[in-house]
Amino acid sequence: MGISDPWVILGYVLSIGLAIACIAYGFVKRNEGAEKNG
Amino acid sequence: MVDTTLFAICTVIYLGVTMYLGYLGYRHTKGADDFMVGGRKVHPVVLGLSYGATFISTSAIVGFGGIAAQYGMGLIWLTVLNIGLGILIAFIVYGKKTREIGHKLGAVTFPDLMGKRFKSPFMQYATGILILLSMPLYCAAIIIGGAWFVSSTFQIDYTLALLGFALITAVYVVMGGLLAVMYTDALQGVLMLVGMTLLLVLTFASVGGVTGGFDNLAALSPQIPQNLQDGGLHSWTAMPDLGSNIWFTLVTTIVMGVGIGVLAQPQLSVRFLTAKDDRSLNRAIAVGGPFLLMMTGVAFTVGPLTNVWFWNNTGKIASVAAGGNADNIIPLYINSAMPELFVVMFLLVLLAAAMSTLSSIFHTLGTTAGYDLYKQITKKETPSKRITQIGMVIMILASVALALVMPSNIIARATAMFMGLCACAFLPTLTYGLYSKNPVALPAKLSLVVGAVSWFIWTVFVHTAEAKQLGICQALFGQVTLLGAPFNVIDPLIIGLPLATVALVIGILVTRTEDTSSDRTVGAD
Repeated sequence: MGISDPWVILGYVLSIGLAIACIAYGFVKRNEGAEKNG
Repeated sequence: MVDTTLFAICTVIYLGVTMYLGYLGYRHTKGADDFMVGGRKVHPVVLGLSYGATFISTSAIVGFGGIAAQYGMGLIWLTVLNIGLGILIAFIVYGKKTREIGHKLGAVTFPDLMGKRFKSPFMQYATGILILLSMPLYCAAIIIGGAWFVSSTFQIDYTLALLGFALITAVYVVMGGLLAVMYTDALQGVLMLVGMTLLLVLTFASVGGVTGGFDNLAALSPQIPQNLQDGGLHSWTAMPDLGSNIWFTLVTTIVMGVGIGVLAQPQLSVRFLTAKDDRSLNRAIAVGGPFLLMMTGVAFTVGPLTNVWFWNNTGKIASVAAGGNADNIIPLYINSAMPELFVVMFLLVLLAAAMSTLSSIFHTLGTTAGYDLYKQITKKETPSKRITQIGMVIMILASVALALVMPSNIIARATAMFMGLCACAFLPTLTYGLYSKNPVALPAKLSLVVGAVSWFIWTVFVHTAEAKQLGICQALFGQVTLLGAPFNVIDPLIIGLPLATVALVIGILVTRTEDTSSDRTVGAD
């Protein structure tokens, strides 16, 4: 990809991975928390 | 220069829709609860976009994009913290508790939450005073960022751009309250998402593709200015040398200062009070995470790549082409490298980014002055909406005045300062307040005071970047800072946050000891 520094590569991997984790969390928990607190 | 007719048409449409959404907010605002916390029933998508759009201002795109052009791609670690802490931890660990406790106590602002949670008027007005002292600095930085781009693109008077920009935002915030802020935030968030996606695609197309662009950037390493090389930066595609001055600045001030500071920002915390239930927060996370990736991730990727474009087209690196002003790199790049239609669109993106953050800051400043402080000073139970609006107008005028006198090259620094102070003063206290079953005021007061004071002392007397500009240490002691390297490049957050945490722990231990002693005394009686 033109980037050789592993720290920069790790930064990109974590950024994209965390964004995907946010989507996954929102999807999995999309119906939780309504009854208890709503 | 772009076609002013085209820009005028696009701007009128954008402002027309913004004002209409502001009007909708005004129409839906029936009482103080709507004005302060959006009626506590905001849609998750609006919540996610509003949170993200408030989070990301021109500071993140223009200011930090320019810093990335100078310091390279190591800034991507700020995106890691933005998403990991700013969304996941913020919503799951802090957001749900803030919403739950805030609803239970009927809190409508961040200082109100602190005051009610600790049953302490001191916590409410001390938090309010800190906000009123520090937030105008951040607010002014955002106004400067928006005004800079408008004036440089259209060659109009900077002061006029600044005043017009602040006035338009102020109108819908003062009239429509938080609902107007969040409705307009959602529109602005969508516009920002489209604009930043196009910016990434067009940038890669202009520098030789993804791999080609990064290869070209790596090949420019010998062009890195000598002062940056001496400071530890040897490639724009790599982190600076571990422990070097630039590494400390990048990691402690930019990545940690901004990344951690976001957890206790009053204008973001109040968003959690607008959620109907935990389900809304769960769904908002799915919107907020990808949104932040496409904002800061793109800005920190495009920033360094501007060096390739400027080198190929002008024979200069970005900072040299921009006359040494980091805040001018992204605007100059957009104006020089992008198609005219995109320049117009990106201007609207920056306006949207600035307006979405600015509107929230105006709202927080106004409610702090017109609700929290007014309530403490007059001892009135609930100040009217009109008083809160008057507080807003006063604080908006103060922030605009500050923006007019502040130096223009301070956007990223002012942002980092505000976020650092928020973290030191509020984060340990907020965490304790949310997760202790019976929080008491003493540890919270200790932590808030120690965090704020230690941040202030380190900022004024040790950290060169601020101490030099403030000049107080120089005036008192005849030297820029009291300590030398590496202390003078360690951000105040790295000192203030641990001290505030220690103060909190000491306060908790002292309180427990007193409780135990009084229990024994009662037992003996």
